[in-house]
Amino acid sequence: MRRERGIVPRFLILLAVFALVAAACSSSDDTTTTAAAAAATTTTAAEAATTTTSESSSEPIVVGGSLALTGFLAPTAAIHKVAGDLFVETLNESGGLLGRPVVWEPLDDESVPDQAAAIYERVISEDGVDLIMGPYGTGTITAAMAVAEREGFVYPHHTASLTYVYTYACHFPTWPTGIETNITNPNLVYDALEESGNPPETIAFVMNEFPGTQYIGYGPPGSDAGGAISEAEKRGWDVVAEINFPTGTSDWAPIAAEIAAADPDFIYVGAIGVDGTNLLVALDAIGYVPRGHFYQWPAPGPLLGAPNSEGAFSVTTFEPHSPFTDAAEPAAISEAFSTAAAAAGIPYTAFEAQASVSWAAWQVLIAGVEGAGSLDQQEICDWLINNEVETIIGTIDFDPAQQNYYGDLTKIKQIQNGQFVVVSPSEFAAPGAEPQL
Amino acid sequence: MDVDLLAQAAVSGLLIGGLYATMAMGISLSWGALKIINLAHFTFILLGAYLTYQLTTTFGIDPFLMIVVVFPLFFVAGALLQVFFEWAKVDEFRSLLISFGLFIIFTSLVRTVWTADFRRISSEDNPYASASIFIGGVALQVPLIAAFIAAVVIAVGTSLALSHTHFGRAVRAVVQDAEMARAFGIDPRRVAVILSGLATAYSGLAGVFIAMFQVLSPTMTFAWFGIVFSVVILGGLGSPYGALGAGIIVGVVAGVASVVWGPLSAPLVTFLLLIAALLFRPSGLFRRSPA
Repeated sequence: MRRERGIVPRFLILLAVFALVAAACSSSDDTTTTAAAAAATTTTAAEAATTTTSESSSEPIVVGGSLALTGFLAPTAAIHKVAGDLFVETLNESGGLLGRPVVWEPLDDESVPDQAAAIYERVISEDGVDLIMGPYGTGTITAAMAVAEREGFVYPHHTASLTYVYTYACHFPTWPTGIETNITNPNLVYDALEESGNPPETIAFVMNEFPGTQYIGYGPPGSDAGGAISEAEKRGWDVVAEINFPTGTSDWAPIAAEIAAADPDFIYVGAIGVDGTNLLVALDAIGYVPRGHFYQWPAPGPLLGAPNSEGAFSVTTFEPHSPFTDAAEPAAISEAFSTAAAAAGIPYTAFEAQASVSWAAWQVLIAGVEGAGSLDQQEICDWLINNEVETIIGTIDFDPAQQNYYGDLTKIKQIQNGQFVVVSPSEFAAPGAEPQL
Repeated sequence: MDVDLLAQAAVSGLLIGGLYATMAMGISLSWGALKIINLAHFTFILLGAYLTYQLTTTFGIDPFLMIVVVFPLFFVAGALLQVFFEWAKVDEFRSLLISFGLFIIFTSLVRTVWTADFRRISSEDNPYASASIFIGGVALQVPLIAAFIAAVVIAVGTSLALSHTHFGRAVRAVVQDAEMARAFGIDPRRVAVILSGLATAYSGLAGVFIAMFQVLSPTMTFAWFGIVFSVVILGGLGSPYGALGAGIIVGVVAGVASVVWGPLSAPLVTFLLLIAALLFRPSGLFRRSPA
């Protein structure tokens, strides 16, 4: 149809360059400069990263790392970006760390584990950052942890779900599900169902093939420890369906049809992101209303707006209601986060699970540095191993005997009257809230 | 195996196959007739979805009415894109590179405007998300019915246009020999511009239907690549009926496989079918259209 009259590489080159520049510039509203550049322009970087800096003009402490600013993890990573930025801003307003302002400019790992590892290698060995903060997501955290271990850096992280995998002595997780997530987490859910006074007799499992949800469902690969499914059977509940689906499933109709055919009392969905929302839409489309349902790690905003989501259970570490917000500080943090999230254009602005574990990771890092009184990685590590840290998700006492895990601090929440409220354990439940099934 | 379950899976697969066909139609036409492998079509689908989300959410426009907004708008966009391709003298291979660059640019644009977070039209603004028509015990989801009907209309309309109209004869002439067609007074560039406009409009239309029943995120395009290219290749390049037939086959096979062997088997079965079909019919299962 067209005759090529000669190669026009200039246009192709221009277009390619434009594409790269546009992609790079639009990946984040914040400037994603390298950590070295941020450190080099000390005063400028400090001013750019904070609203008010300490009166000291000393060189800032640079925290390096990455986040999934683009890619399939970006929707949730955006929450961690807001939480991290707010934490650093708050820290600097109160005098910084060791009397010095803190700079954190995460680079974009594009949700790719290899990319994350390369970034951490670079920021540590080339840019010479003082500290590091883990990225978002199991894959990227796992990949970067190997670099942290090789370089001997303290590695706080907030969202790695394969707890049994991590053996690095100086990794400090604030994903508080414990070393036996596959056992403790489902049982917290099941305890809540028992507390309702109307526990299920039949249960169906719909599990994303994502390693974290598979771990919860079945236990570590090659292990007979079991998980959510076997724990349900131990309680005498009849497993009427067991459906595993690929990550990124777009056609939920067959899965919905299979659930409707099985008609369980309770559906345990090993969901990430919008799996739960899509499933509820598909169930509603075939006229099926689940009697009880649970979603492991959902995007809360879309789930709240999904049809028949009332009564859905999930897990959390913090919710913006009493007793979590009884104290002034967490209440202020919660409100500040909501404001910052709204400004960042995030639709669901509640300070809940993801934001709280992110905040806790920063609290751990800062506590370690302040406790050690220095930026020496081994001293920070030793301090954290030997001391408790008070965080927004609770008191954390890293136990080397449990690969630095410390038990399961998960709470169970439920959608009641269109809002997520914690219902179990009772000491953390919203006033008057109980599990309803 | 529950017969009702199989029936539901097959019917749902049939309807979502219509959506796959609508998504693939634009690329099939572009690749088959224009010799342009336009990866930007995926972002046109995405843009169609986000535009539907935004206008519906902001102005309360019925999502179905977005069809009359998106179709002409994206026709113009596609026409302008082809003007650019003509001006840059883009051939088949370079179209892959350039359109990939456009794909990156447009995806970044979506992320910049709407952030990386999930977006979903509220139930108040979109009563169709899980609305269904029941025939026997089988549910037919309204957005997917609409997508299926659209796919049939597009396939029939495009095929008839290509075979029974002057424009269609012009397209076929240009595809066979552009210079000879030009000698007979046909302007290949004008033909290409119109065809590109149509192809892009089809992609935008697919986005409207997707916004009606799915949660949107800028990275959702990556999940479409395998399915859409399977439909395009299985149906035969440039064949509207081929895209429709292939979409239905892919949808039904994936749906039935999901309930028979589990959802994890669906991609495996679908791509095995693709490989097997191409071994015996390299040009696609269905005859290519006259274009």
